[in-house]
Amino acid sequence: MNAPVKPEALRVDGLVTAPPVDALIRFEAVGKTYPGRDSQEPVTALAGVDLAVPRGSIVGVIGRSGAGKSTLIRLVNGLERATSGRILIEGEEVTSLTEAGWRERRRSTGMVFQHFNLLSSRTVFDNVALPLEIAGVPRAKIAAQVGRLLALVGLADKSERYPAELSGGQKQRVGIARALATEPKVLLCDEATSALDPETTRSILALLKQVNRELGITILLITHEIPVIKEICDRVAVIEGGRIVEEGETFAVMTRPRHPTTASFVEAVTGVEIPEYLAGRIHEQALAGDSAVLRIAFTGGNATAPVISRLATVVGVDVNILAGRIDAIGDKPFGSLLVSVPAGEPELAAVLGALKSLDLKAELVGHVS
Amino acid sequence: MSPELIRLIVEATGDTLLMVAIAAGLGTALGLPLGVFLATSKKGELFAAPVVNAVLGALVNATRSTPFIILVVAIIPFTRLIAGTSIGTFAATVPLTVAATPFIARLIEGAIREVDQGLVEAARSMGATPLQIVRKVLVPEALPAIVLGLTLALVSLLGFSAMVGAVGGGGLGDLGIRYGYQRFMPDVMAIVVAVLIVLVQTVQSVGDRLSRRLNKRLRHA
Repeated sequence: MNAPVKPEALRVDGLVTAPPVDALIRFEAVGKTYPGRDSQEPVTALAGVDLAVPRGSIVGVIGRSGAGKSTLIRLVNGLERATSGRILIEGEEVTSLTEAGWRERRRSTGMVFQHFNLLSSRTVFDNVALPLEIAGVPRAKIAAQVGRLLALVGLADKSERYPAELSGGQKQRVGIARALATEPKVLLCDEATSALDPETTRSILALLKQVNRELGITILLITHEIPVIKEICDRVAVIEGGRIVEEGETFAVMTRPRHPTTASFVEAVTGVEIPEYLAGRIHEQALAGDSAVLRIAFTGGNATAPVISRLATVVGVDVNILAGRIDAIGDKPFGSLLVSVPAGEPELAAVLGALKSLDLKAELVGHVS
Repeated sequence: MSPELIRLIVEATGDTLLMVAIAAGLGTALGLPLGVFLATSKKGELFAAPVVNAVLGALVNATRSTPFIILVVAIIPFTRLIAGTSIGTFAATVPLTVAATPFIARLIEGAIREVDQGLVEAARSMGATPLQIVRKVLVPEALPAIVLGLTLALVSLLGFSAMVGAVGGGGLGDLGIRYGYQRFMPDVMAIVVAVLIVLVQTVQSVGDRLSRRLNKRLRHA
């Protein structure tokens, strides 16, 4: 089951757009193997990764720890070097760059870190100024640029504070301002919100989205949190064992996950848990007078169809809502409902038929008396 | 106490401060780059040169494991080469510097190694050269710890300087041995010890305060 799902296979149902042509960053069969320490076996971090990051988009790579996502993002700015395959940035092959060549390139690539990595000895202003100092920008120009960036991230009044005096969210705002200082085309986000609480995460994601929309900066991010993907990513790639196992437009991938890893990530936000009071009472075999418990998945256009009333009026059954979660990915509704309906043979068949005609996926969870 | 004795004590204090200041100054000037190099030249580090690192490391260890009084005598030819003589307060700064340099280098290496590697990665991601990383990240971030290390080195040098009487160097230690011990003048010995205590206390509290002021990781109200 670990075979990667080919984009062609996904395109059949018309949900996935064709792979982007104008890719700012393109991975072609990229591999990364670390030499084994003390005569141990070499460790393969990435194996045959193909990935395209369209210009102006936000692409998320999701995976568990050790899946290879950290290595993958560090290949884009040369903090790690690929051992096979090619990486193209704006059409230029970077795989063979020297360290000096990489240094030049890194000045047009910003990076944001999970633990912010701000210099404790520098004020907010001087932290944001650091990449400009490194690039040899004159002092007067630095002041103007830093002022503009601090205003952008909403920290103009914290300019002379030290990182220790800031909250986590404020530190990451400084991190983002610093990453944008040299006006890069690409922003790399390495688990940028993983050290933040949910509310702060949302505000940082909103800032990243703003940066993407207003400044036209392409963002490649890695995360292990599906809400990050759901919130801001145009496209998502799921990585496991050093391979991309599934890739496509976020909505398509999340609503119709093909790979078990994707499915388990997606379930974390959309799956409705069976309430505890019910879980113990569900049994497989229908007994007389039982109700059937169904899990209805809402994806795409029909998510807004008046399902419950349709079942009540057209099929003529009583529908009892047990649990549910309706959410949105981008601007499209998405979620699932747990309902119980009469388990009798004609009614249940009619209900399932009606759901099918609405193009909704329904799964029989069990029966309750 | 006779004015003569007071003059001796003041002079000896001056000699001690002069020797320690010269040795600490030169020791820092030499020890800082050495310490930075030791902290950044192992395999896979910024200035990776594992062989040079190992050789320098061994040399530093050898110097540090030689008892100071033996070092003073052992390097007399070198002292004569540098200072023109091997006797006297000025000549004594040579062995003091030789002892201080590797000590300070190790302290600085330790301080630099404490700097979060994430900061080095961040600087690399900005396109910084290894030298820029040292100047703009490693040294400034390690500065509070470096100041504490230098304070420790100063206190140790005050102790070392008491031994240079063996080669005709002056200072408080020499005074204490010659007058306090050999001429049975316990009051001189007591004054020498008291002055040394005051010096150490002063150095330590100034160093602590400076380090705390430089440390921006602590929130200042």
